[in-house]
Amino acid sequence: MVDLISTQDLTKRFDGLVAVNQVNFSLQEGQVAGIIGPNGSGKTTLFNLLSGFFPPSAGRITFCGKDITKIPPHKRVEMGMARTFQLVSVFDSLTVWENLVLSTIRFKRDQQSVQSFFFAPARKRIVVDDCLKSLESVGLEKKASARTSELSYGEKRMLEIAIGLSLKPRVLLLDEPLSGLSDHEIGGVLDLIHRVRENFALVIIEHKISKIVSVVKKLSVMNEGKILCEGDPEKVLRDPAVRECYWGKEEENCST
Amino acid sequence: MIHTIVYGFTIGAILYFITIGLSLTFGMMRVINFAHTLTYTIGVYMLVSLGALFKGYFVIAAMIAVVVVIPISYLIERFIIRRLYGESLDHTFIATFAIALIGVDTIKWIWGVRPYPLSDPIGEYLMIWGLTLPIYRIVIVMIAILLFIGLELFFRKSIVGKIVVAALEDKDGVGCLGIDVDHYFSIVFMMGSALAALGGVLYAPISSVHPYMGLSILLLCFAVVIVGGMGNLRGTFVSALALGMVMAVTARYWSQGAETMVFIVMAIVLIFRPIDI
Repeated sequence: MVDLISTQDLTKRFDGLVAVNQVNFSLQEGQVAGIIGPNGSGKTTLFNLLSGFFPPSAGRITFCGKDITKIPPHKRVEMGMARTFQLVSVFDSLTVWENLVLSTIRFKRDQQSVQSFFFAPARKRIVVDDCLKSLESVGLEKKASARTSELSYGEKRMLEIAIGLSLKPRVLLLDEPLSGLSDHEIGGVLDLIHRVRENFALVIIEHKISKIVSVVKKLSVMNEGKILCEGDPEKVLRDPAVRECYWGKEEENCST
Repeated sequence: MIHTIVYGFTIGAILYFITIGLSLTFGMMRVINFAHTLTYTIGVYMLVSLGALFKGYFVIAAMIAVVVVIPISYLIERFIIRRLYGESLDHTFIATFAIALIGVDTIKWIWGVRPYPLSDPIGEYLMIWGLTLPIYRIVIVMIAILLFIGLELFFRKSIVGKIVVAALEDKDGVGCLGIDVDHYFSIVFMMGSALAALGGVLYAPISSVHPYMGLSILLLCFAVVIVGGMGNLRGTFVSALALGMVMAVTARYWSQGAETMVFIVMAIVLIFRPIDI
C-alpha cells in the first residue's frame, strides 16, 4: 500500500541550525497521527516543509507516491493537502462567509463562479451549500455575516478548521489546534476532530499531549530536529527516551 | 485660492493614479518597485508617438498608450519582479531601480532627450463665480473620483478583488486555500501599471515630457504610499489628494518648497505612525 505522505531523509537547515534532520515520516490514508516534542524541536518546520512553505535543504516528500518536493503550496492544496497554522490564520478584513467562499471557489473552476467576475453570484447560488455545511460543522453558521475580526480567538480557530474542511482534503495538517483555547473550546475542537477523522487523514502537532492521545493512532516524538520515537501512543509515551526528553533525568531518577 | 485648490486636486489625482500600483505591489508582495515609474514614462512616450498618428484624437491615443503598457508590464513582472518575491528589500530596491535606469536610457535611445511639449487636449475654460478654471484639470479630478469608486467596487464585489484583499493581509494564507497568489499578483501588477500609464498620459499635457519624468515623480509617490499606508487603497486616495493639496498651497507661497513640504509631512506621519518594512 502506497503511503499518503512519505518523507525520505527530509532536512531543513537555517544557516548553522539544522531544524529538521533527516526525518523519515509516513502517513497512511485515513490515519490520524500526532507529532509532539519540546519547543524548537522542528515540528512546525516539518509542517512547513510538508505544505511547501519551506523548500527542503535535502531529502524528498511524496504524496500518494508522487514526488511533491518542488511543488508550490497552492498545488499541494489542490492535490488534497490542507493545513492550519500555529497562530490562527484567517482573513480579518473579510466576513466569515467570504473566508469560506474563497476556500471553495477553486473547486468550481468548471462552473459559473469562476466565469462570474462578481462575488455575489458565487455567494447566492454556486457555493452556498458547501460553505454552510462547513460552517455548521464548527457551529459558526449564525456568524456567517460577521466580520472575522469580531470573532473570539476560539471562534477564529474553528473558522480556520472549517476552511480546512471546506478544502475537502485527503490529509489535514493541524498545527497546535488547541493552543490559546479555553477548556470549553478545546472540547469543541476535539469533538470536531472525532467527528471528521473518518473522512480523511489527520496530522496534529500539539503540546497538550493528554488531549490528543485518545484521538491519534500513531504518535511521533520530535527532538532536536529528529524523530526520537514513533508508533502506538501508549507505548511511545512509556519510552524512556521520550520521558527523558519531556521530563528530564529527574523523572527517571524518581521512578527508579 | 480656488485655482490653487483645483491645481492641488489635479496633482493629487495624478499621484493617486500612479501610487495605486506601488501600494498594492508593496502590500501584497513586499516589493518596493522603482520600475513602476518606467511604465508611467512609457505610457507618456507612447502618447507622444500615437498623438502624432491620431492628430486631434487625444482620447484614442491615450487609451491605446495605456493598453500598450499592459503587455510591457506583464513582461517586467513575469521575468524580473517575480524573481524578487521573498527577497530582501534592498535586493528588490536595487533590481527595480536598475530596471528604471535601463528604461530611461532606452527611452532616450528611442525618443531622444529633448522635452516634448503637449498641449491641453480640451483647451477650454469653465467660467464660474468670475473665475476661469481649465476644464481639463476638472476632468482629471473627476476621473480620479470615478476610479476610486470603481476600485472600491472591484475590491468589495469581485472575486479577484476579494483574493487581493485577503493576500494583502496574509499572502501565505491565500496560498493555503489552493489559490495561486502569483497569478493574481500578475493581474494586480498589470492593473497598477496601466493606471500609472493613465496618470502619465493625463499629466503629460500639463507638465513637460522628458525621459526622467518618472524618476522625478517617484519619491513623491513613495511619500503618498507611506502616508496613506502600504496596501491601503482608501488611505492612498486620501493621502494623494492631501499631499497634492500640500504641494499646491506651498507652491502658492513658496514655490521652491512645494516638494520639500511633502516630505516634511511624510516625516511627521512617520514620527507618529512608524511603518514596519
